[in-house]
Amino acid sequence: MSAIDSAIRAAATSIVLDGVSKSYDKGAEVIPPLSAELRAGEFTVVLGPSGCGKSTLLQMIAGLERVSAGAIRFGSREVHELEPKQRGCAMVFQNYALYPHMSVFDNIAYSLKVAGMARAERLQRVEAAARMLALTGLLGRKPGQLSGGQRQRVAIGRAIVREPGILLFDEPLSNLDAQLRHDMRIELAELHRRIGATTVFVTHDQVEAMTLADRIVILNKGRIEQFDTPRTIYHKPASVFVARFIGSPPMNILPVQGDGSTLRLASGEVLARSSLKGSYQLGIRPEDIQINNGPLQVKLRYREELGSHSVLAVEIAGNLIRISTPFGSDIGSRDTFAVNFPPERLHLFDAGDGRAIPYAFTRAKALADA
Amino acid sequence: MIENARSLNIVAGLILLTGMVYILAPLYLALATATQSYQFMLRNGIVWYPGDQLLANVVRIFTETRIPLQMVNSLIVAVLDALITCVLSFITAYALVFFPVRWGSVVFALILATIMLPLDIRVITTYQVAANIFSPLNALFDSTGLNGLLDSMFGVRLALEWSVLDTHFGLIAPLVAHGTGTFLFRQFFLVLPKDLVKAARMDGAGPLRFLIDILLPLSRPSFAALFVLTFLSGWTQYLWPLVASSTPDMQTAVVGLARLSPDSDGVMPDFPLIMAGAVVVSIIPLTMIALLQRYLVRGLVLSEK
Repeated sequence: MSAIDSAIRAAATSIVLDGVSKSYDKGAEVIPPLSAELRAGEFTVVLGPSGCGKSTLLQMIAGLERVSAGAIRFGSREVHELEPKQRGCAMVFQNYALYPHMSVFDNIAYSLKVAGMARAERLQRVEAAARMLALTGLLGRKPGQLSGGQRQRVAIGRAIVREPGILLFDEPLSNLDAQLRHDMRIELAELHRRIGATTVFVTHDQVEAMTLADRIVILNKGRIEQFDTPRTIYHKPASVFVARFIGSPPMNILPVQGDGSTLRLASGEVLARSSLKGSYQLGIRPEDIQINNGPLQVKLRYREELGSHSVLAVEIAGNLIRISTPFGSDIGSRDTFAVNFPPERLHLFDAGDGRAIPYAFTRAKALADA
Repeated sequence: MIENARSLNIVAGLILLTGMVYILAPLYLALATATQSYQFMLRNGIVWYPGDQLLANVVRIFTETRIPLQMVNSLIVAVLDALITCVLSFITAYALVFFPVRWGSVVFALILATIMLPLDIRVITTYQVAANIFSPLNALFDSTGLNGLLDSMFGVRLALEWSVLDTHFGLIAPLVAHGTGTFLFRQFFLVLPKDLVKAARMDGAGPLRFLIDILLPLSRPSFAALFVLTFLSGWTQYLWPLVASSTPDMQTAVVGLARLSPDSDGVMPDFPLIMAGAVVVSIIPLTMIALLQRYLVRGLVLSEK
């Protein structure tokens, strides 16, 4: 373990957001009061559609945007009134934002130079960072002479050279092509394991979120929809928004009516048993639907063969849903076939605010058993 | 369309050639005239073929006229005009683009207005102010009644006076007040990646360090382009130096050239001498363009790779 690793690991602190909110002069509230604690050394991904306030949140943590109210603490230290350089965090930007006129060395060393570090120590630090990121041979080049992945690594080098306890990433992979994005994802995961900085990573890409995160914050219109591990978010989405946002193809959501013993579509098909009454939204993931056997008749609209699996778009009483099956699954040449919604795989959400109703089916089952 | 390409090229070539002749013919005529003697011209008029008196005419420019001294004046005016314009434009654009300036768009509109109100159309008012820099202040005192008050209390009136006519400062200052450079830098700053400022802030660089370490080196081509353009416009200024300088020693070369033709009617001007002067006077801006042409193009094309 080199000096940079241990210094960063030692500096890593938790990030506490305490009722942080952001609104602009003209009255538009981008982020309503929001609280969360990101643990020290944890890799947190902030995930949300564009315009949900995730970049604003990141810039408030960085100190590039002022908070309108609330407090931000790194560990026990209040930082929301401090300038970025006093906070001890570093950031990697979407377009790298390297200084085009400086060499790779100068780009990485710039923050140390501004801080007034002696030349010899600067040299040593930059070389250590360059070694860690396999940039040693490129130190003399200008950013314009580098490939996208190399620029990305320089941007990371510029961030870690100051040995910050907190690393912030603002959609750093969205400018790379698919292959490179995959490689960089692995590199980032390795880097995080090695240096152990508290990391906040903003993205709109669910694959990045699922693969990189210890925990994911899902933001919608500035509110936290769910803050949990990728696994929990996938299997127990806290709202319709999360259910639709995570998973590809997204979860099927169907409007249902409860009559005290069953949940039915408006046209009368019974989808599940439940003692609940009133309007709900029923969710089931495309891969959880069983085909060729079951009580429900669906009509095939079209199918997509994706190599690893097939996606069937089918119609059930006027609602279009997707089913994901192993590649080439035989439904014959029939236009209609039978499907089954396994009750343990169903999710139930409130018809109004879209929040999940936990244990809706286990409780119903328990009641039925009793 | 491939068949048409050749004939299209020929037509385009012809149009270009016509344009070149149209522009170069007068220049050639000036050069040819500069090589004749005054006596030759009096006998034969202006002719298209060159003579052998160029050197003699140039020597006369340096010995018999004030053009050399006036070229020094031109150089002072053009260089300072260009330098000060560059610095002011750079700082103004920096403030407008990177800081949330209240009424920033209004300020920018006012700056743009100076482009639409060139010195030539406000020459009289500019002359009034140059004749007495304090005249706006005096007018303010008069119109607000403050002077009346002073008069009744102390029996004196405030009437400050400071003329900058016939000084280098007076020649330069009105030329500097011009928004083109601010506009140029503003457009350049706007195409820079937004995250650059944020990255510099994360690196701990304050506004001044960002200006010096990041923005200034990146703006070099824009600086060069603006410098050349302003230098050329300063060098070729005619109307303002004509009215703002009254003594020959303070006049610029272009004004001096015009003064080479005699004021009295009926005398044939010494065109060979004047044209030789014109050739000498254009050498400096020509050198300038030759040296900095590269930057001129790069600075005006706004994208920075």
